[in-house]
Amino acid sequence: MMELLNMLLHDAFFSAIPAVGFAMVFNVPKRFLPYCALAGAIGHSSRTLMLEFGLPIEWATFVAAALVGMITIGFARRHLAPPSMYAVAAIIPMIPGTYAFNTVIALVQLTAQSQVSQELTGQVISNGLKTVFILGALAVGLALPSLLYFRTRPVIR
Amino acid sequence: MYADTQNDITRQVVRAAQLLLAYGAESDLVEEISQRLGQALGLASVELSISSNSLVLTSLVHGRCITTTRRIREHGINMTIVCELQRICLLAEKGLYGPNEVRKRLARIEPKTYPPVLVVLMIGLSCASFCHLFNGDLSACVITFFASAVGMLVRLTITKHHFNLLVNFATTAFVISMIAQTGYVFSLSETPQSAMAASVLMLVPGFPMINAISDMVKGHMNVGISRWGHATLLTVSSVIGITIAMQLGGIFL
Repeated sequence: MMELLNMLLHDAFFSAIPAVGFAMVFNVPKRFLPYCALAGAIGHSSRTLMLEFGLPIEWATFVAAALVGMITIGFARRHLAPPSMYAVAAIIPMIPGTYAFNTVIALVQLTAQSQVSQELTGQVISNGLKTVFILGALAVGLALPSLLYFRTRPVIR
Repeated sequence: MYADTQNDITRQVVRAAQLLLAYGAESDLVEEISQRLGQALGLASVELSISSNSLVLTSLVHGRCITTTRRIREHGINMTIVCELQRICLLAEKGLYGPNEVRKRLARIEPKTYPPVLVVLMIGLSCASFCHLFNGDLSACVITFFASAVGMLVRLTITKHHFNLLVNFATTAFVISMIAQTGYVFSLSETPQSAMAASVLMLVPGFPMINAISDMVKGHMNVGISRWGHATLLTVSSVIGITIAMQLGGIFL
């Protein structure tokens, strides 16, 4: 139990750093950076917890993104700022970057070969599908609060 | 309302929408903010048609329409400006701002960025912690830090000279991979592949991809597809840079 908690805290710390780093690339104002870090840490560590319980990565990402969506709407209503400002920085640690790059590297390798190789085609398909579905889970999960709850009224008033 | 008042207000609203799109807001937010701003300033309704690189806006009041078109040039993502425009919209809606104040504040908007040194350091740290999350060892994390910090420096320098974004990403990816594969070439690290994977993550176009999907989900199909295409092109061009670097290093194919 203690080990799990330790692992989650460790995970939260090391996902808060990229959230702040990329928030700075997106020029999020300085006073909102801690909230980006908090949302990023909660999102990624909750996903790690769900993966630990054996949930597939797509569903874990979907639930974690929905959680981030709800938290960031709370922040947005308090600071009167657009929720996507916090949310996009917060989900950066969950973006399937490795899957995306493996897909395209396998594609380039396929091009370089004279005949179609079974193994590379398999890599392209499996990594590509993972990329698309994780990205979809992230975006739809983030949009979930406004799809379900804020259907006819604006988030910030 | 007089015709020239309507003209003036329409110009403020279309300026706000143009800024929002140029600095990377999603289409739904652009539509919401410009409609709310227009109605707060006294227009009866505002209709928008957004495409991949332009925007058409029609304002209606007393049965009189004004339609205007603006070209949109991408300026990179700047959330400070999006935040500022949201604030202007809210202030106008609460009745604190009239057309004159909105015009003044819109004219004052300028893209402010963080100092490059700070961004370079933070991106190095971010990619190093990605490497740590991928179970890389300490030396892999150090290699990742230097590779992505130098990469970010290259990216910012090229951006300053207004090169095409695709050229920028390919060059940056090449530089990053050249540095990151020192782990392989001189066998400095036990887990060189995690350094390779983590250091190029700063080039993943996460924001355009998320914007693309949420645009498509919320019904802005053509903008969503064009953003998706742009994000895919960026990924492909950085992979071309990585491939060249790996072939030069002789660890691939």
